[in-house]
Amino acid sequence: MPIRETFWNIPHWAEIAQYIAALLTAILFIAGITRRVLRWRRGRPEKRSGHFWSRIGSLVTQVLGQKRTLDEKFPGIMHFSIFWGMLVLAAGTALATIDWDVTHLFFGFQILKGSVYVVFELMLDLLGLLVVLGLGMAIYRRYISRPARLQNFPVKKLAGDDTYVLVMLAFITLSGYLTEGLRLAVMRPDWAAWSPIGNAIASLFLSLGDPTNQTLHLVIWGLHIVTAFGVLISLPFTKLFHIFSVPLNIYFRSLEPAGALRAANMDGGMGVKEWTQFTWKQLLDFEACTRCGRCQDVCPAYASAQVLSPRNMMVKLDDHLWEKKPRALHGEVVLADELWACTTCRACVQVCPAFIDHVTTFVDLRRHLVDQGKMDQMLQDALSNLGRYGNSFGQSDRMRAKWTMGLQPPVKDARREEVEYLWFVGDYASYNATLTDVTRKTAEVFQKLGLNFGILYESERNSGNDVRRVGEEGLFEMLADKNSQVLSRCKFQTLITTDPHSYNTLKNEYPANGNGRYPVLHYSELLDQLIAAGKLKFSKKLGYKVTYHDPCYLGRYNGVYDAPRRVIEATGCELVEMPRHRERGFCCGAGGGRIWMEEKEVKERPSESRIREAVGLEGVQMFVVACPKDLTMFRDAVKTTGNEQRLEVKDLIDLVAEAL
Amino acid sequence: MKIAVPIKFVPDLVEELTIDPSGTALDTTWLRLIINELDDHAVEQAVLLKERGGGDVTVLAAEADGVDDFLFTAAAKGADRLIKLTGDFSTADNHALGRAFADVIKELQPDLILTGVQAHNDLDGSIGPLLAEYLGLPYVGYVAGITPGGDKVIARKEYAGGLVAEVEVKLPAVLGIQAAEQPPRYVAYSKIRQIMGTAKIEERPLGALESGGGVMIERMFQPEAAERATMLEGSPEDVADKLVGLFKELGTL
Ligand code: SF4
Ligand code: SF4
Repeated sequence: MPIRETFWNIPHWAEIAQYIAALLTAILFIAGITRRVLRWRRGRPEKRSGHFWSRIGSLVTQVLGQKRTLDEKFPGIMHFSIFWGMLVLAAGTALATIDWDVTHLFFGFQILKGSVYVVFELMLDLLGLLVVLGLGMAIYRRYISRPARLQNFPVKKLAGDDTYVLVMLAFITLSGYLTEGLRLAVMRPDWAAWSPIGNAIASLFLSLGDPTNQTLHLVIWGLHIVTAFGVLISLPFTKLFHIFSVPLNIYFRSLEPAGALRAANMDGGMGVKEWTQFTWKQLLDFEACTRCGRCQDVCPAYASAQVLSPRNMMVKLDDHLWEKKPRALHGEVVLADELWACTTCRACVQVCPAFIDHVTTFVDLRRHLVDQGKMDQMLQDALSNLGRYGNSFGQSDRMRAKWTMGLQPPVKDARREEVEYLWFVGDYASYNATLTDVTRKTAEVFQKLGLNFGILYESERNSGNDVRRVGEEGLFEMLADKNSQVLSRCKFQTLITTDPHSYNTLKNEYPANGNGRYPVLHYSELLDQLIAAGKLKFSKKLGYKVTYHDPCYLGRYNGVYDAPRRVIEATGCELVEMPRHRERGFCCGAGGGRIWMEEKEVKERPSESRIREAVGLEGVQMFVVACPKDLTMFRDAVKTTGNEQRLEVKDLIDLVAEAL
Repeated sequence: MKIAVPIKFVPDLVEELTIDPSGTALDTTWLRLIINELDDHAVEQAVLLKERGGGDVTVLAAEADGVDDFLFTAAAKGADRLIKLTGDFSTADNHALGRAFADVIKELQPDLILTGVQAHNDLDGSIGPLLAEYLGLPYVGYVAGITPGGDKVIARKEYAGGLVAEVEVKLPAVLGIQAAEQPPRYVAYSKIRQIMGTAKIEERPLGALESGGGVMIERMFQPEAAERATMLEGSPEDVADKLVGLFKELGTL
């Protein structure tokens, strides 16, 4: 009967030596892990407990299922193969050891015998092949195809770390196969065919004969064991640590709405000046980064000028935690230009297979810059204006509702009378001279639909969404308080807005600030609901071929992807998607307060890259947006890319008004 | 070095300005006040001097809407002492304000007095020279940089056409600031809120204001459209001929 004879050909002393080595390995391994954990504990506290089952669920889908990793085909399959192959091989080795030295030794029975054993052999033999496949792909990728995102190393020594991991894993796998092959070559058991690869290797060695093969077996087994223990010992000190840190990071990921930022640390100045002011979870984030570069590939700041790479930021921050001679976090490890370049578009967070939240870290670092008053003059002026006038334009708050002049009937004052929908108009739609036409058109559509709506007139303030993301927490609180105070005095049922930025903070952050809860709808959602309820009917089918741009704060932050698409289709337009759409939508470059900052030298503005993407779609005449800022950003980009004849930028409401 | 910075609040031009029915003053119903921009530079310059060479900065202001916030902001930047003159300043011109400041400043005995070189509502001259006169101190205006040196300072005075002079002034002295050496810094709201808990504004009630020596306003009015400009067209020679003709006609040639 087939039976597993673990430690065949291994002298007793070697078997015992192996257990002593295992014990030492375990001690070093635990010490290495403890060293990391202790470092995280130097961060500030942050609550990440609760939702036990959904957290376990993420582990199943994201770790075992490798869901997000598989979003990209080549690297996904590559990693999946190595992960599952290694996992099963390691488990198999453990099982064989238990089988021999626990159940067999102490209880006198074996699990690995008969048909169970041959299936076990077959499984391990084939899964080893999976590892070989994965490693081959990895080697090809890292050293032959060499994608750009794996190339730049802000910390030089890490290139060696990457190589180390590949070499060690390759050696473990190959030496494992050789050990097996040599064993089969000597023993020639009847069931050798169940290990097709091992058997094939065995045939190569047959001619050498014993005792050469026995000696070779012992030597290679020894090397295999030493390498395996070496890998385990080095795990907490190398890139391999991600095996430990990534599942933890996935388990402890934030389950709060993506649009709600954590309040600023105020202890020792606002924000993060030194790494110990990060929370433990942020430190874990840094240590979970595998340098895969997916975030860098989708980052608009990286694409436009290469000032900021979210990948390199994580790498640098992680390195900083362990610096022997700590450099200054601000100015040496991370530069202000990098921090200001982020549009907070969340594209990086969305693709990161380790579930790292780059944006909260960047905002925390920006908070310190704001605390020190370090920012460019344009941003400083915008913030001062926001503080004084409640809008970034530096215009009188009394002019906020000037766009309503001449509308008949006049737009209701929600402070004076009860309305069903309170329309939070937002700064851009109210003040930007090129946008007020669209704002008026929106009001006219609402009026035609007979909506009972009103606005706050001069009592509205900037919602503070981007103020908060710039890092000016105190100003955000002031703006939010002022708005909330007015809102609490108004009678309405639903808050509506055309601005995804206002939408985000009103919906996700105002409630947390202790302000009343009310439903908040983006106008695309409202229009979609009205269509579904039969209250909005179109008389025309427009028949245009259009594409739609997902605003970051509507899509990635709030998951509103379908409502605007349904509205577009209801107007009788044909919607053609750009390659980067929905979760992968590409930022226009204005978010996170970027629109208030000076523009540095760029290769290609994110908005221009986006327009070129749209122009590449056959027959598309219109670029539809659902955000006032997008309208200005893309109208400019259409001009600067010379596509005025080719593509027209339209607001969603333009289509609705035309089809009514 | 002990530095005093008297500042004033002026009408915010972002709001529409209207003349009140008397026709000699601004209508205050819609008026909103804001720090005179150059006074903000004077505060920044004072704080810069303190940061470089140590010292003690006192900011003085007359009571007005928003003055407290400004004073706290100045404290957050680094001002040590905040003094607010209280009383009715609604009719105070710069002569009156200058005298009021001078009384307090005499008592403070600063080495250096920095103030914005001008404000857009200086109907009766700017504050700096008036203060210098009341205090009997030297005055240099249009200063955009200060290097302290013992009992004197070197002031960088800017002239039209990009000329700069370095002027040595014996202390104590009054300097009219045209621009601080760096733009006024931004102060985060959280910092201002924090300082509100610790900093104190000293209030100094004022007696009657003395505005003697100022100006009498006869009439205040919005700019009135004058006659349109005439564009002269043609070759340079033609235009020159027409111009000479016009000058003759107007009797200037
Ligand atoms: S949020 Fe957007 S801009 Fe910022 S680092 Fe991530 S991908 Fe880049
Ligand atoms: S942050 Fe995430 S996506 Fe970016 S390199 Fe690290 S692991 Fe990859």
